[in-house]
Amino acid sequence: MFSYIVRRAAGMVVSVLLVVTITFVLMQLIPGDPSSVLLGPNATPEQIEGLKRTWGLDQPIWVQFYKYFANFFHGNLGESIFFRQPVLRIIGQRAETSIFLGIMALMVVVGLGVPAGVIAAVRPNSWVDNSLLLLALAGASIPSFWLGLMLMVLFAGKLHLLPSSGYTSVIATGNIANLKNLVLPAFALGFVNAALVARTARSSMLDVLRVDYITTARAKGLRDSVVILKHALRNAAIPITTVISFTFASLISGAVVTENVFALPGVGSLIVQSVLKRDYPVIQGIMLVVAVLYVVINFVTDLTYAFLDPRIRYR
Amino acid sequence: MGFIELILRRKTLLFAVGILFSLVVISIFATYFVPYDPDALSLSDRLRPPSTAHLFGTDHFGRDIFSRTLVGTRVTFILGLSISAFALVFGVPLGVLSGYYDRVGMVLMRVIDAVMAFPAIILALALMAIMGKPGMVNVIIAVGMVWAPRMVRVVYSSTLSLRENTYVEAARALGASSGRILIRHIVVNLLSPVIVQSTFTFAFSIMEVAALNFLGVGIPPYIPSWGGMMNEGRTYIIRAPWIILFPGVFLALSVLSFNLLGDALRDRLDPKLRNIV
Repeated sequence: MFSYIVRRAAGMVVSVLLVVTITFVLMQLIPGDPSSVLLGPNATPEQIEGLKRTWGLDQPIWVQFYKYFANFFHGNLGESIFFRQPVLRIIGQRAETSIFLGIMALMVVVGLGVPAGVIAAVRPNSWVDNSLLLLALAGASIPSFWLGLMLMVLFAGKLHLLPSSGYTSVIATGNIANLKNLVLPAFALGFVNAALVARTARSSMLDVLRVDYITTARAKGLRDSVVILKHALRNAAIPITTVISFTFASLISGAVVTENVFALPGVGSLIVQSVLKRDYPVIQGIMLVVAVLYVVINFVTDLTYAFLDPRIRYR
Repeated sequence: MGFIELILRRKTLLFAVGILFSLVVISIFATYFVPYDPDALSLSDRLRPPSTAHLFGTDHFGRDIFSRTLVGTRVTFILGLSISAFALVFGVPLGVLSGYYDRVGMVLMRVIDAVMAFPAIILALALMAIMGKPGMVNVIIAVGMVWAPRMVRVVYSSTLSLRENTYVEAARALGASSGRILIRHIVVNLLSPVIVQSTFTFAFSIMEVAALNFLGVGIPPYIPSWGGMMNEGRTYIIRAPWIILFPGVFLALSVLSFNLLGDALRDRLDPKLRNIV
């Protein structure tokens, strides 16, 4: 197990280094003078001087590359052109919304996807199975932002059940009811990803239900619900967990557009605003934070997976 | 049971092919038969709900949503095709070389994995920002760069298993050069996985293009596109939801059809691909 962790950790470090390198290369591709790219057109000579010192812009490219790495590992992702604040602080301010949205969407993914897959697998090829499969396929083809807009029309516009947009911090105000604003976005975001989980849950449940110990469990007279939930689902859980962790990347992608639809002050809407304003340091900072997060989550998933299924470690 | 499933599969495949065929016809000929000029303004007809005069209603400039949606098919398909072609042109050579030469694969696959750590839309947004202004070519490059690495991965995995075949060994024993083996024995056998992956690339890329247009950073707003229409309709969403409803339905149907087609092709051409594509 130890050597497996070391190998995977080394792989993770390489990935993080490559991610940082890729963002560095991408930022070199922006046309124009780097100081005006990083400071905007209205920079003072003092600001330009300071910038040159921090990032080594008047030095050869490999020195710049080194400075970039050093700054990254010290948590310095530069300063926003628009907000005139450190990028990391701005991302931090926007993180709450995105994290809560992500958690709620994940609850929708698991809460819809797993039961749907289990129900479909218990009665394979029945009308329930076929309609759930069709629903899952449709779910995977619907753009989440469109679903979000349609939910907005129905639940906020016509039925007046839920707020249509905006979000005020729960942590700052202590008002837990603010989470109501995230229900529609979380559903729009989660539904699309639940489809994938449902398909995996169905196929891994089908595999497990064919195994001898299920027949034995049934033969000794256990109730169906016990057989399915205790014997089958627990053994089908490993592939399902993996797929759920894979949905992370697609949740982030979806959140970018969904936050925009529902006017949520999250990291996703921040990157869109930054693209429209050409606030390159913020774009770069979000890319770094998200990709590093992705690499780390993959690492943790791999470890969990190896922990749950000892066969993995010896590959 | 198997028989019923087969018919059901056939039916869905028939459905997908039917939809795609109609959409291709629409994308080619829409400009000739739509009832209104898609750009014609008519302020007296603003925000009209669907009716016999305007099947899908009108937007805030009184433009006919039906005509705009049909005409928007063309730009969707042009972009989907170009992005898939972009992914092919970069993905196939890089994937084959990585799969065939271990050293190339070792380095390149690490880079590809790192690129894939950036969520699709974030990478596309960043590339659009770097390239500067909205436009068709920039969208093709931005979204193409997102999907090319996924094509590389698929081609790489397939090449890895293809090169272990006895006929490759035989060719090598006969003294065939690497170039000849690559082209005559490996690339030709990549057709199935590449076709299947291209179908999925098409589906995902039109969805992503729509998202970029919806966010206002894709193609310029004067070209009617589904994502752009949905973006313009946002302000009027409660009063005139039809502006957003119909382009979205067309988009979802296109994506669904390509996904169904991809699934069916995969099962037909090579069931082993389930683990790769």
